[in-house]
Amino acid sequence: MSTATKKPAHKPKTAARFVRADGPDKVTGSGRYTADLSLTGALAAKFRYAEIAHARISKLDVSAARAMPGVFAVLTADDVPDVRYGSFVQDRTLFARDVVRFEGEIVAAVAAVDAATAQRAADAIVVEYAPLPIVNDAEAALAPDSPLVHEGWADYGAYEALVRDRNDASFSSIAKGDVEKGLAAADHIVRSRYVSDGCHAAPIEPRAVVAQWEGNKVTIWTSTQVPFDARAGVCETLQLPNNRVRIIVPHLGGGFGGKCGFHVEAHVAALARAAKRPVRLVFSRREEFLAPDKRREGIVYDFETGVKNDGTITARRVRLVIDNGAYTADAGFFSQLAAMHALGPYKIPNVLAEAHLAYTNHQPSGSVRAPTAPQTCWALESHTDEVAKQVGIDPVAFRKQNAVDTGAVGPSGQTYGEIGVQQCIDAATSAAGYGKTLADDEAIGVAIGWWPSFASPSGAYIKLDGDGSGQIITGAQECGTGAVMTLRQLAADEIGMRAEDFELVYQDTSAAPYDMGATGSQTLFNNGRAVIAAAGQIADQLRNLAANKLEAAAADIVLADGRAHVAGSPDRGVAIAALAGIAAGGELLIGHGSGAPPAAPSVAGSTCVGDIGVAAWQAPQFSCHAVRVKLDRDTGVARVLHVSTAHDSGTIINLVGAQGQVQGGVMMGIGQALTEGTNYDDQAHQRNAALLEYKLQTCADAPPIDIHFVEIETPNAGPYGAKGLAEAPNVATAAAIANALAKLVGAPVRQLPMTAERVWATLQETASKEQGK
Amino acid sequence: MSTSERIAFTLKVNGTDYPVDVEQGRNLLSVIRSEIGLTGTKEGCDDCECGACMVLLDGQPVNSCSYLAVQAQGRAITTVEGVIDGDEMHPLQRNILEEGGVQCGFCTPGMILSAHALLARNSSPSEEEVRIGLSGNLCRCTGYAKIVAAVQRTATELHA
Repeated sequence: MSTATKKPAHKPKTAARFVRADGPDKVTGSGRYTADLSLTGALAAKFRYAEIAHARISKLDVSAARAMPGVFAVLTADDVPDVRYGSFVQDRTLFARDVVRFEGEIVAAVAAVDAATAQRAADAIVVEYAPLPIVNDAEAALAPDSPLVHEGWADYGAYEALVRDRNDASFSSIAKGDVEKGLAAADHIVRSRYVSDGCHAAPIEPRAVVAQWEGNKVTIWTSTQVPFDARAGVCETLQLPNNRVRIIVPHLGGGFGGKCGFHVEAHVAALARAAKRPVRLVFSRREEFLAPDKRREGIVYDFETGVKNDGTITARRVRLVIDNGAYTADAGFFSQLAAMHALGPYKIPNVLAEAHLAYTNHQPSGSVRAPTAPQTCWALESHTDEVAKQVGIDPVAFRKQNAVDTGAVGPSGQTYGEIGVQQCIDAATSAAGYGKTLADDEAIGVAIGWWPSFASPSGAYIKLDGDGSGQIITGAQECGTGAVMTLRQLAADEIGMRAEDFELVYQDTSAAPYDMGATGSQTLFNNGRAVIAAAGQIADQLRNLAANKLEAAAADIVLADGRAHVAGSPDRGVAIAALAGIAAGGELLIGHGSGAPPAAPSVAGSTCVGDIGVAAWQAPQFSCHAVRVKLDRDTGVARVLHVSTAHDSGTIINLVGAQGQVQGGVMMGIGQALTEGTNYDDQAHQRNAALLEYKLQTCADAPPIDIHFVEIETPNAGPYGAKGLAEAPNVATAAAIANALAKLVGAPVRQLPMTAERVWATLQETASKEQGK
Repeated sequence: MSTSERIAFTLKVNGTDYPVDVEQGRNLLSVIRSEIGLTGTKEGCDDCECGACMVLLDGQPVNSCSYLAVQAQGRAITTVEGVIDGDEMHPLQRNILEEGGVQCGFCTPGMILSAHALLARNSSPSEEEVRIGLSGNLCRCTGYAKIVAAVQRTATELHA
């Protein structure tokens, strides 16, 4: 079921029915993904990984590997420029230098005639280690006597707003009002602790990279979500100018944030340069689990909320410790983002959130679909149900009372324009039948979530050729959501043509202007603006051509249905294709667009230490999920029976695609709630780095999902009033499941994922407490 | 006999005989992709867990990552490239596209073959039967709903 509360007046005319342009390629098997590419003479790459979580390299000898027949190149830190990189903290090198800090760190790389030979050579590299103490716990990492993950942390370059101290790579706080006074004014103070494990993006396509040099220029085909970031990383680490590095992304087999950032493109490019041959790297599933600088961060939460008997929240204090892993990657802003999520979309006059991003000897954390949000929403919303219970108010009524609404002031002092969180609560709970009598082993849990839209520079070109067919050349990246596919609708609407009149040229840094990539749910929000601006230039050119041809004023020309005609005289017109033909003999039809990103909202009345720019939320998105769960109390096995969702993501431009984001985001949330968690042993090795032990949800696990869009006219939104959508549906599901489980168990399950074992253990604790009474 | 010893034999893929000469230990997936050159069949885990490499052997779905190429001699192998009928998409392909059951597309070939085999053995499956039938194919994008809808629509169309 899919419904919408309100249809805004203006949407692209072509949006009614959407069949994606890259679809035929994908359903027939003709579509090429990076691992499907082959180049004559290409070599296979393999990496030698640290396999130990923290150690000093006492010996590294690649001579035997280099001497093996069929081996063309073996590289270590000595063979590439000595560059420390990192967008927030320059704590990373391409290859381990002197010290390894997590098991998946790359020590050396090999290019050989085939994969088996490359693997034998990688195994033949001699590495000896002097073990260093392992930092295996994020909270312990912050103790004054903890071993340091980076001895030289103080000398690293870093983004100037970051507040760093020893193992704390980014401390951030948000303070508003007087939290002590607020707690003192409360009738009750509820304290809770929650712990979430890390988990993985787990796209079905393991990453792959192919690199080929021609002279001093390199072309890299790679499965990245962020081609321009990947290019920046290659240029920085191999010291090349942007215009000599071309990143092309064939079809991308999913990312979910795991393929954001710059990762192994430079290693493969360096191998190809050394070997003087094209080189191809394809990750195994095990590597996909262990090696990327991207997995969802584990976080420990300690909440204190003060509440009056009438349900008014007077104050909230929360401390968060985020597991940064061994390198900061793109996690530098997670402390402030998680602090915002821990305070939540609530009207609370007095708040203090303090978040630490702690180095450990774990795999680095990085952007995975709505980074920090699902687990923080899980902790906050579990806590919120505890607070509501304390004052004897129904948890939905409690949220209605305390959640922000249009005109309310949020935790960071931002005053919100029109927002739809209250409507989301009403829509989701009503669709779920919240309040109806259920079987003894079933319950409905409810949670609300939020997520910012991210404004960023972004560009596109459009050309209309002499035959009247168009091409959109965009910097945007398609990771599967269909956001890039939707750009055709925007251009078509602006020029008065059909979406299918346009082909897309995308995912090629040498063809198109900059875009941030498939990250932050920003494609439509930002590149949509660029495409509309570029299409507007073409439309202006066409109106001028038509004005000449029809002897009318350009301002009176209407472009619609493939024709230009004089306003009020539909018969006085000319086909756009004919105008394109005229242009082909003179001034060509070429548009370029970027457009100014919408202004950041102002934040007043709060104090932020370590302000990384994510306390002011552009066009915030809101959601409410209501989930019906069935629990087998003998085993702790929970089953999600039904999910009702409501989202305020602004105007929905592509309904089929939007539904797909909700359905996929909810399923990922169910996995995070019940089965998906990284399990470390005492040596900081991942114990479940395989799909057999790290369980994704299957088709048989998927419950029915109601989808409701609350279409609100949000200030400073993207094209047609659209906000982002790809990450938001992943935020509130695990939290809603937790609140259903807490009702069934009699107490919250305080660890995420809420595996059958953990649920069962909580059931036992609750039962023994009951007996003890 | 070592798994690296080579062996020459013929594989029948999508109705065409391909002579191949490969190591005994090679899995069917790598031979289809690298020797025969059909890359529609994907590798997602090499562990029989994700279903991206699914092909049909005499109409039965198998994970080609965990099946030796030599074992497929004399059997009819169908890959996603063999599902299309000339230029005309199979109803499953058309419906999975029109219903919005394709996002990144990496699981799609395996999913189509899995659904193809399901409909061959059960021409009017219930939603539950579709869900169980496709449970060997992991999809991280779609949440499966639109894929299930496409399979059910196909079953209805094939009956009409």
